[in-house]
Amino acid sequence: MLQVRDLHKSFGDIRALNGCTFEVRRGGMLGFLGPNGAGKTTAMRTIFRLLRPDSGSVTWDDQPIKPDDLLRFGYMPEQRGLYPKMKARDQLAYLGRLHGLSNEAARGSAETWIERFGLGDRVDDTIESLSHGNQQRVQLAAALVHDPELLVLDEPFSGLDPIAVETMSDVLREQAALGKAVVFSSHQLDLVEDLCEEVAIINAGEVVVRGDVDRLKDSAPIRHLELETEGNPSQLLEFLDGVQSTQLDGERLIAIISANTDVRGFIAHAQAAGKVRHFAYTTPSLSDLFRQAVR
Amino acid sequence: MTGFGTLWQVALREITERIRSKAYLITTALTVLIVLGLIVAPTVFGSDTEESAVGSVGEGNEQIIATAVDLGNANDEPGDPPSIAIETVEFDDRESAAMALEDGDVDAVLVDGEEIVVQSVGGFGGNSLANGLQRAAGTVHIQEIIEEEGQQAADIIEILSSDPLETTTLAEGDPDESDSRTFVAYFGLLLLYLAVLLYGTWILTGVTEEKSNRVVEVLLSSIRPWQILGGKILGIGSLALLQLLGTIGAALIALRVTGAFDLPPIEITSVLNLLLWFVIGFLIFAVLFGAAGSLVSRTEEANTIAMPMSMAAVVGFFVSITALNDPDGVVATIFTFVPITAPFVVPVRTALQSIPVWQYSLALVVCLASIGVLTVLAGRIYAGGLLRYGGRVGLREAWQSAAE
Repeated sequence: MLQVRDLHKSFGDIRALNGCTFEVRRGGMLGFLGPNGAGKTTAMRTIFRLLRPDSGSVTWDDQPIKPDDLLRFGYMPEQRGLYPKMKARDQLAYLGRLHGLSNEAARGSAETWIERFGLGDRVDDTIESLSHGNQQRVQLAAALVHDPELLVLDEPFSGLDPIAVETMSDVLREQAALGKAVVFSSHQLDLVEDLCEEVAIINAGEVVVRGDVDRLKDSAPIRHLELETEGNPSQLLEFLDGVQSTQLDGERLIAIISANTDVRGFIAHAQAAGKVRHFAYTTPSLSDLFRQAVR
Repeated sequence: MTGFGTLWQVALREITERIRSKAYLITTALTVLIVLGLIVAPTVFGSDTEESAVGSVGEGNEQIIATAVDLGNANDEPGDPPSIAIETVEFDDRESAAMALEDGDVDAVLVDGEEIVVQSVGGFGGNSLANGLQRAAGTVHIQEIIEEEGQQAADIIEILSSDPLETTTLAEGDPDESDSRTFVAYFGLLLLYLAVLLYGTWILTGVTEEKSNRVVEVLLSSIRPWQILGGKILGIGSLALLQLLGTIGAALIALRVTGAFDLPPIEITSVLNLLLWFVIGFLIFAVLFGAAGSLVSRTEEANTIAMPMSMAAVVGFFVSITALNDPDGVVATIFTFVPITAPFVVPVRTALQSIPVWQYSLALVVCLASIGVLTVLAGRIYAGGLLRYGGRVGLREAWQSAAE
């Protein structure tokens, strides 16, 4: 299990991390969310000892991470980087060897992953001759080639087409099912909701929400309400208590309201005002939780 | 895998990727071609005989010119082409001869056996033709005086052009051997100087490239900075050595084939000593270049950051020239123990046999230790500098942001 506890890190006057805590167990997948500049990359770099935290700790299986542990981790940095003039297979095999694989094992694994990502006919092409999306596939393969126990991926889905997103999602699910600990950051919240049981939301260097997604939704102090009627639904808002925010999606009113609000009276008013075409009262979506957390 | 196994993997990648690159093949071919050209061209296009033309005005010049040729060729081995040959061109008056000199038709003008006219006195070392004529005129003058006394002119010429005196040194060993050692040391000095400037830049830009294409974050997330830096230096250093040895080999073969230049006999021990210090010197500079490369983000900025190392190499070179003249002096002794200059100074002092064993050993220990220490220090600067982008990273900043 990876445990990140109360990390603090400042660069000069800038506080990059200010109480960053989360954990991922083996077989678990954690979505690491946060607005741009919230400290996601800094936290990930700290795991790999690329940065030294001012305080706090990172442990793997309850032990502080030692340089040799890094050979059993896989990392996909936000700033993608491969040798532009090296062939895809040579590149992956090299990274495999650096992580301690034998020549044959590294080469075999490189070919397996290239095949898996549908680049079988490009093994001998240089990285720079591949499209952006294909380079990204190779980059993910680079994090996987040595069969790591922990996968840390910084924005693995950014810039991918829907088919590549699907392949990558499948790979991540499969890795978690194999007992790997997986943590990745993303701004595609639907995807995270789909893939992850657990999330951690970081804002201004501090993890403000973390835990099981369903439980977070249930225990959230807010509810998600949607209403579409003949006539203007906005006029009905005066009959609704505890409204925290509203927005109009076409004719549909979407409101975030307090979980304590009793909506029965409101439904009655809505029905009295005209025909109700759509009504939904649900626990908040991950997007709602995210917006609430980073407000 | 052990730490050095990983380092070796890094070095192996550098070697296999670079040795196939066009840049390496082209620079190697060019270097070999240039060196071969410098050796072969003179033997193809020129002969060993230095030919010149002398304008003659009036009487009494013929004998001076003939004597100058005799003196100039006095030490020639039988069978070799003569060292000098002088063509005489007659002029009616000084004015027309001067014009021909101006036009470059003749190289000097003799007037009535009493005056030498040349374009200029020449630079460093003077005008050798004028000097030769001067000497010849003196000889002719002495001949004339002695002829009046009844002596044979030929004896006089023989006395004047006698074999050089035999030189012996107070140091042990035979002077030829010591000559050869000095030659090797001097040659090695030049090579180290050139290698530092040329191949140091390879390491510098190699590191900066890795930083600018961002691959370094992937590397640093799994292996340690000293393994990357060390592997890079080992890999690029091997290629540099390969290129250098290839060039020297080609040069030696060309020299043997053309006989353009006589090499003194070279002792194997002095070559080994040179190689040892060459490798040490290159390693010290390579580590510094590698650390410097991590501080800049783009290859264009690499040149400015190379300045301090290039200056250090220049200092090392000049200090060792001082050591060549005064191998026991205070300057030579002090810089024997400075890691950056020792690889330049120690081979020179060893060649001149004026370094005590304890100084040699201490210098060796200092240098080897500083390679170790520098690699660790540079590794930290490297690690701190590599993940900082945008402009130049300060040394302090790089040091502090490193994780270890």
